Amino acid sequence: MKIPAEIKIVALVVGTCAFYTYVGQLVPQKEVQPPAEVLISSDITTEEMIAIGEEIAQGKGLCLTCHTVGESGALRFPDLAGIGSSCTTRIPDKSGLEYLAQSLYEPDIYIVPGFNPGMPNIARPPIGLTNDEMLCVIAWLQSMGSEATVTLETRHSYNTDAPEAE
Amino acid sequence: MNRKLQILVALFGIAAFMAVALKVLMVLQASEFKSPVAAVDTVETPRDQALTELAEDRAAREQAKPYVDEEYRQAPVFGSRVVVWVLAQLHLLFAAFVLAVPIFAMIIEAVGYFTGDKKYDKLAYEFTKLMATAFSLTATFGAFLTFALIALYPKFTTYLMHVFSPTFLPYVLLFFFEALFFYSYYYGWGKFHPLVHLGLGFMLNVVGTAIMFIANGWLTFMMSPAGVADSGAVINAWEALMNFTWMPINIHRVIANVAYGGSVAGAYAAWKFLGAKTDEERAHYDWMGYIGMFVAISAFLPLPFAGYYLAREIYAFNQALGIMMMGGAFSWLFIIQAVLIGCLFLAANFYLWLGMGRIEGTLPFQKLIKWLLIAIAVCFAIWATPRSLISTPAEVRGMGGSTHPILGALGFMAAKNTAVNIMILTTYVSFMLYRRTGKRPIVKWAKWGNIAQFTLFALASAVVIFLGVVSYFVDAATRIRLSVPQVLAVLAAMGAMTIIDIFLLRGAEKTGKIHWGKLPPISQYVLIFIAVTFTWLMGLMGYLRSGLRMHWHVYGVIRDNSVDAFTPTLGFATQVVSVTVLIFFVLIAFVFWISGLSSKEDWQPRSSAVEP
Repeated sequence: MKIPAEIKIVALVVGTCAFYTYVGQLVPQKEVQPPAEVLISSDITTEEMIAIGEEIAQGKGLCLTCHTVGESGALRFPDLAGIGSSCTTRIPDKSGLEYLAQSLYEPDIYIVPGFNPGMPNIARPPIGLTNDEMLCVIAWLQSMGSEATVTLETRHSYNTDAPEAE
Repeated sequence: MNRKLQILVALFGIAAFMAVALKVLMVLQASEFKSPVAAVDTVETPRDQALTELAEDRAAREQAKPYVDEEYRQAPVFGSRVVVWVLAQLHLLFAAFVLAVPIFAMIIEAVGYFTGDKKYDKLAYEFTKLMATAFSLTATFGAFLTFALIALYPKFTTYLMHVFSPTFLPYVLLFFFEALFFYSYYYGWGKFHPLVHLGLGFMLNVVGTAIMFIANGWLTFMMSPAGVADSGAVINAWEALMNFTWMPINIHRVIANVAYGGSVAGAYAAWKFLGAKTDEERAHYDWMGYIGMFVAISAFLPLPFAGYYLAREIYAFNQALGIMMMGGAFSWLFIIQAVLIGCLFLAANFYLWLGMGRIEGTLPFQKLIKWLLIAIAVCFAIWATPRSLISTPAEVRGMGGSTHPILGALGFMAAKNTAVNIMILTTYVSFMLYRRTGKRPIVKWAKWGNIAQFTLFALASAVVIFLGVVSYFVDAATRIRLSVPQVLAVLAAMGAMTIIDIFLLRGAEKTGKIHWGKLPPISQYVLIFIAVTFTWLMGLMGYLRSGLRMHWHVYGVIRDNSVDAFTPTLGFATQVVSVTVLIFFVLIAFVFWISGLSSKEDWQPRSSAVEP
């Protein structure tokens, strides 16, 4: 029996779409929800700040979209492993805390050699971290390779005008 | 009725009665006790008065209703996002078609005018006929989309209208002029001096492109906003229109529209070829399909470079957005894209190789095809290799992670850039071989010309592969810069080889005749496959461009607070794309059918079977 060309065309169009849809089902399926707001109470400890900082880095802050932790090779942005200790020596006469704060609030001022500028100011939208959230991220960064020292009362060049946390 | 039946009916009746009685008992038991209402004291209101009071009460309640500015409305069954998604994609597919067809119709008409060959003029008119129905469908879906946006996303649509209100009048005027130039161009075929008619075609293209540029400003603003404060307040509407990704999208869309329009026109020719009754018809539609395919692939070859420029600008606007696209939530989308583009390259080359069969004297070139096929297959495999593999826990343990120890190296952009550049070069060589088939250069420097072309091809391939390998051993800043000379090497080689070819084949001796129409039917199904794949690819990349904003209507400015603020899975997205493509092809079949009606014989009343 000879199949009419019209039937073959319909089968081809439907079959092609079905094939590409099937390919679409083979890749990992992930539904990305809008980032949840992180609640930071005024009396949290530095240890709790580290945990919250890590949560922000993975979610709302989008840090780990670009940065890696503990990877080497052809990286697009600096790896964050050991940043807690290397932050103290990156810029002479700048403390680790001030270096980290500058990297978050004004990331284009200092670029790690071998990398291109590209990090956005995460204090502004679309990421828009608050000063307290920034401190939590700093605590998490300090904790990698060193001991975290910041609390919500810590002041640096970029949050000196902020009201003291209660 | 016999006795047994009577007993059976009686038993059934008793059972039914008992079931009803039991149900009533259960309802009564479950009901709350209410004391009997004393109806004796009730004063009856006259019916007319009661109705009036009820109406007044209702009117008072309606008047007291406060005005609520709704932010979102939910479309039934499919949800608002899917409705707007499908309508926007259908509008875009038809719009791309009606913008592309006049570009190559005008070029083909110009070729016909300057060469004096009437068949080009006939072909250009046939392409333009396709546009007539598609033009109305584009406007219809544009109206659908606008109403859907106003109805389902009222607050956000009001904001966009607020930002872009200065563009509305120019847009409407341009639309009016597009209709004017289109109908003059279509109905004025053969009625004006050819140069006047070409002028109408040129103006139609200018106006159509300007319309697209304005619409592109609206949508690119949503991805890379400019000219507004962090609060969304408008600072400069023109800056908002000409935002960071506006020009890259403009360039990308003009090229992509031509590639896509050529493929759909090729599918039309294939459909007509398969239904052709005579050799003459088959020859004509074979030629038409070839031209459509030639247009599609010619535009498709530079498209990755335009895509590269667009991606670069997205990174320049916001690195996080770029990383999200290539390495974050959407990275696996590029594996699907690699499958689609790989299929396109394979199908296009297959069609070209089949096409050599219609020309006498193809044997010397056909021997080379297996090498080209191997090169394309290897590049396809590299491009479709993901950085991290979907593996079982045992496989992950075996590999020492989700990245394969050897194949993982092919997952980097360095390998993929190299693969796609070689794939483009290989397809270009396929074109060159097709062009050479049945011709022998007669210029004195023919041998040196061939050597120069081969050297250029070899050099460009060597540069691309060398830089691709070097990319693995340099820092990030250098690596990103290396992709530019890769692209430039390919473009330069293609440009130089084309120039040499034009002079090389000038006055070439014809060694074989072209037998148009003498092509196996599978070649026509390949053309339809290419059109479906192009359409599907446009749907997928449209999803990427729009979905990249994640939970923002306007990235970083207006947040999406609707129930659809999440980004769906790629599996779901591909289902929506497929449904949209199928709807489009049902509608385009209608366009093809309408276009073919004018060439059918007029209706005649049936002659009477019995002569008086």
